[in-house]
Amino acid sequence: MYHPWTVKYKPKTLKEVVGNREAIQKFVEWVKSWNKGIPKKRAAFLYGPPGIGKTVTVEALANDLKMELVEKNASDYRTEEAVKRFAGLASQYSSLFGTKRIILFDELDGLTGTADKGGVKAITDIIKTAQCPIVLVANSAYDPRFINLRNYCLLIEFKKPSSTDVLKHLKAICLKEGIKAEENALKFIAQRSEGDIRSAVNDLQALAQGKKHLTYDDVSWLGYRDRQETIFTVLRMILYGRTCEGAKRAVNMADVDIDMLFEWIYENVPAHLTDPHDLARAMDALSMADVYRGRIRSTQDWSFVRYVIDFMTAGVAMARVNTKPSGWTPFHFPGRVQMLSRSKGERAMQLEIGRKVKRRCHISATRASKEVLPYLRIIFKNNVEMAAGLAKWLDLSPEMIEYLAENKEKAEAINKLLS
Amino acid sequence: MSFEMWAEKYRPKTLDDMVNQKEIVERLKSFVKSRNVPHCIFAGPPGTGKTTAALCLARDLYGEAYREHIMELNASDERGIDVVRETVKTFARIRSIGEVPFKIMILDEADNMTADAQQALRRTMERYTETCRFILCANYSGKIIEPIQSRCAPFRFTYLPREEHDKYLRYIAANEDINLSEEGLDAIFEVCGGDLRRAINTLQAAASLGKLIDAKIVYSIAGRANPADVQKMIETAMKGNFLEARKQLRDMIQKYGVAGSDIIRQIHTEIFRTTIPEPWKIKLADIVGEIDYRLVEGADEEVQLSALLARLVEAAHEMKGAEKV
Ligand SMILES: Nc1ncnc2c1ncn2[C@@H]1O[C@H](COP(=O)(O)OP(=O)(O)OP(=O)(O)O)[C@@H](O)[C@H]1O
Ligand SMILES: Nc1ncnc2c1ncn2[C@@H]1O[C@H](COP(=O)(O)OP(=O)(O)OP(=O)(O)O)[C@@H](O)[C@H]1O
Ligand SMILES: [Mg+2]
Ligand SMILES: [Mg+2]
Repeated sequence: MYHPWTVKYKPKTLKEVVGNREAIQKFVEWVKSWNKGIPKKRAAFLYGPPGIGKTVTVEALANDLKMELVEKNASDYRTEEAVKRFAGLASQYSSLFGTKRIILFDELDGLTGTADKGGVKAITDIIKTAQCPIVLVANSAYDPRFINLRNYCLLIEFKKPSSTDVLKHLKAICLKEGIKAEENALKFIAQRSEGDIRSAVNDLQALAQGKKHLTYDDVSWLGYRDRQETIFTVLRMILYGRTCEGAKRAVNMADVDIDMLFEWIYENVPAHLTDPHDLARAMDALSMADVYRGRIRSTQDWSFVRYVIDFMTAGVAMARVNTKPSGWTPFHFPGRVQMLSRSKGERAMQLEIGRKVKRRCHISATRASKEVLPYLRIIFKNNVEMAAGLAKWLDLSPEMIEYLAENKEKAEAINKLLS
Repeated sequence: MSFEMWAEKYRPKTLDDMVNQKEIVERLKSFVKSRNVPHCIFAGPPGTGKTTAALCLARDLYGEAYREHIMELNASDERGIDVVRETVKTFARIRSIGEVPFKIMILDEADNMTADAQQALRRTMERYTETCRFILCANYSGKIIEPIQSRCAPFRFTYLPREEHDKYLRYIAANEDINLSEEGLDAIFEVCGGDLRRAINTLQAAASLGKLIDAKIVYSIAGRANPADVQKMIETAMKGNFLEARKQLRDMIQKYGVAGSDIIRQIHTEIFRTTIPEPWKIKLADIVGEIDYRLVEGADEEVQLSALLARLVEAAHEMKGAEKV
């Protein structure tokens, strides 16, 4: 079952909320001031960009101060009538059981259109006479619709946390998930998120869940995401180009290097050139482009790159003879690039084991990691005794044993025989 | 049951123990007798005893302390020119002490050396012939540059014939106290084709499952060890599903590390086995040949092989069209 980390690691107390210490302090003091009597402003308006902890702050505070939180989102109070139903709730500070109450109108900017005009006014009315703290949350407090409402609110701005703060949060999550993450990798995710902790946590989960190690290579490809708009235009020029010139010009527009552009084209050709003849022609052009890449490598003469470009752009464009452009076909991020960076760690492990085999078996580590390792895997999965013997003979580390056995219990059983 | 890799445990220690490769063994023995060894190239398919022969020769020549007189360098792991310059030179120029006046450098998997490194080696071989003899082991002697070939005595290793193969495996099975059935033996020969390393590894992996080894177990081991299902990939392409075929190709290369040259060799074999009209087989062979050639020149195996898959998709499409007419 998919369990989002944004929920799993949602701060439960204010101490765990990252960043915005001043704003939080201001907010806490205001809420506490209600114990001494009704303050001048009966509502607090927390505003700031998405995913930085506004909602979470209110929830954590309610939890810390043992208050009863009445939480409403835009869909609950679209109309004047709907809001008025909460009027009764707002007329009392203490509930029946003596707990203090706090009312949250969250995602206020979710109110759109004229139907909601009355909603904002009704909220303002409730605030004017509120007997308990009212909290408003929105991304912007300066929407013209809130002009009047603002006058009755203590404005508290939430700012984007620094990437150091985001990093701290990601580290804490990795620690709890038992993931060893390279500092660089987490830094990259943190910086990319531009302060949006929610998206940083989502990215982290997408990249790291189920892993033991997270390396920079695992995450660096994420960077391409931002540039997708331009790359899509470039791909369109190539895959649907009618002239060689036009297709070739696309290269200048692309802000990825030639090899990466090649990957984008190579990934997307089949979905966009579906006629078997067109497909064969386009793949042949890519094959020729690749031959020229090989020639560059063997001669170290970079002037050949112009032929690489000819084939991968014009060659692909001219391949289209029968396939009609049909509606909208999405572009995909090069699957190989993704897979390469993901399987890099695994290949390193295979090579390490290959080196151990080499020391004993007069075969290169490179070949051993491909040709001998599969047999070791079978043995390690099926025969604890033989595996232990081989592990000793080859001097394998516990990590290697676990990798080969693909199973913790098996690995433990093998290790036990060894000690 | 013992706990080493059996391929290693049963690797012959002296030339006399070597299976088959009779003429080669005879010539090598004559080198030992005369206490003189020329530069050699041992060429031939994997698991036929090239590395073994080099090691046996050394042991027969120098005795138990042969390790002091030889150096093994594996070109697949160290392909660069720097290694040749430094390591090889340092080893080659220091004179050996003992009754044999030269040392032996075993350059294993030498076909993986870069052309540059081979050029460097050529000079080293010449200069230090007095103090050091080279044995190059390679699968393809064609990948060794001509000037080096001309400096070496060539030895062609071939796959073991069936009887020798069987005898050897039976001997190992008996020694390890496992029950290897005739069908099991047939199956091993079929899937390993005379590559003894693979055969022995298959036998050992099968033995990890139980004492009785029949054909079924052997096939299941082979299937798990070599997930490269080229046949299935071709079928997928011929059905017109290029994307799925490319994905299977990608898995073979990236996940299981199957070499592009292996895949194309299997594709070539498969094409003549399928049930397509005879004239098409030769047309496809032409396409395979062209891509095989590009594979050598190109930079990327997957790109080249998927271009081939696209051609298979196209061919299957045309065949269907022809049927309808
Ligand atoms: N400052 C923070 N400290 C720790 N976790 C945070 C922080 N900000 C956001 N998160 C994580 O992101 C999730 C979303 O945060 P929250 O709901 O508070 O965002 P928001 O600021 O209300 O955004 P929006 O304006 O989009 O509603 C939280 O559940 C939590 O997992
Ligand atoms: N002719 C042979 N006689 C006996 N055993 C052999 C022979 N050839 C191969 N073997 C067995 O197979 C294993 C691998 O052989 P060897 O290392 O000599 O192969 P190779 O020819 O060097 O192959 P590669 O090209 O893969 O390096 C040996 O450890 C040995 O057990
Ligand atoms: Mg929110
Ligand atoms: Mg060898």
